[in-house]
Amino acid sequence: MAHQAHAYHMVDPSPWPLTGAIAALLMTSGLAIWFHFHSTMLMTLGLVLTLLTMYQWWRDIIREGTFQGHHTPPVQKGLRYGMILFITSEVFFFLGFFWAFYHSSLAPTPELGGCWPPTGIIPLDPFEVPLLNTAVLLASGVTVTWAHHSIMEGERKQTIQSLALTILLGFYFTALQAMEYYEAPFTIADGVYGSTFFVATGFHGLHVIIGSTFLAVCLLRQIQYHFTSEHHFGFEAAAWYWHFVDVVWLFLYVSIYWWGS
Amino acid sequence: MAAVGRLSQKLLKSAVLTQTRQLSAAAAAHGEQAAKTWKILSFVVALPGVAVCMLNMYLRAQQHSHEQPEFVPYSHLRIRSKRFPWGDGTKSLFHNPHVNALPDGYEHHDE
Repeated sequence: MAHQAHAYHMVDPSPWPLTGAIAALLMTSGLAIWFHFHSTMLMTLGLVLTLLTMYQWWRDIIREGTFQGHHTPPVQKGLRYGMILFITSEVFFFLGFFWAFYHSSLAPTPELGGCWPPTGIIPLDPFEVPLLNTAVLLASGVTVTWAHHSIMEGERKQTIQSLALTILLGFYFTALQAMEYYEAPFTIADGVYGSTFFVATGFHGLHVIIGSTFLAVCLLRQIQYHFTSEHHFGFEAAAWYWHFVDVVWLFLYVSIYWWGS
Repeated sequence: MAAVGRLSQKLLKSAVLTQTRQLSAAAAAHGEQAAKTWKILSFVVALPGVAVCMLNMYLRAQQHSHEQPEFVPYSHLRIRSKRFPWGDGTKSLFHNPHVNALPDGYEHHDE
């Protein structure tokens, strides 16, 4: 039997990085094909391949960490760095859209009527659904913290309850936003106001869905006894991501919904 | 006025959160009480906060009219330089015929 004289994880060869790269290529070129030639086949294929890659790659990581014990403290530290760096890159991603918003809204052009919101745009009331959405995400931040402490204290039932509550709040946010999108008197095609609003909030909504999914996976894993009170990095990563999503919303709310109205 | 009420409630909640975070950070070093603290916060502050905002929304929604906004054919709105890649290409993804006019005006429906 082979032994390693170090605490690191030399990962076995895996096909998922390749399938992931192919999937990304098919999705992006598929998107272009859809826009110009009205066929969704390539994009759909890319999407399916992406989902399969994600499922299998992360399933393998869970196997390596939870079942095979490869996630020693130094390995876990590396994973922590990785998640932090990833979230940092996402911060920069959103920074770009905030830049676009402020660029257009601080000095509105004559074509828009020289004002912000532009002439003819009826903005959403920041103290109706957007405020509720803020309360929902803030509440979910409290419940996910409850979940974390429950895990650390070995409280199985409370962990499951608080995690489920967090996910429900996430779904509620998504449902409310979808309703807002339908009820809004302006669309993405309504000049730079529509573009900045729907691209920034749209990407945020996508991140809420991703975060909710991540938390849901954690819930399933918790139910199946994957986490211990000392070692539950998957959950911590999900919680960090969720807090990031919450903070982005706060900035969106203050900038676009409130100041921008 | 109601806006001030909402804002102060939000500030209060985040002030309480910060305080309690500091308190439970100390308790976490202790170990045992933190989950209980956050559970209490969830049911006494966070979820009631959501409920109050839901009530606020319900009351406000009853107050304003559901009239169709007036249509003015501004050239800087309802851009259609390229058609949408679905349907007839004129409607956005979350198109709502009641409040979203097309470039020529609202659609005529037998409502």
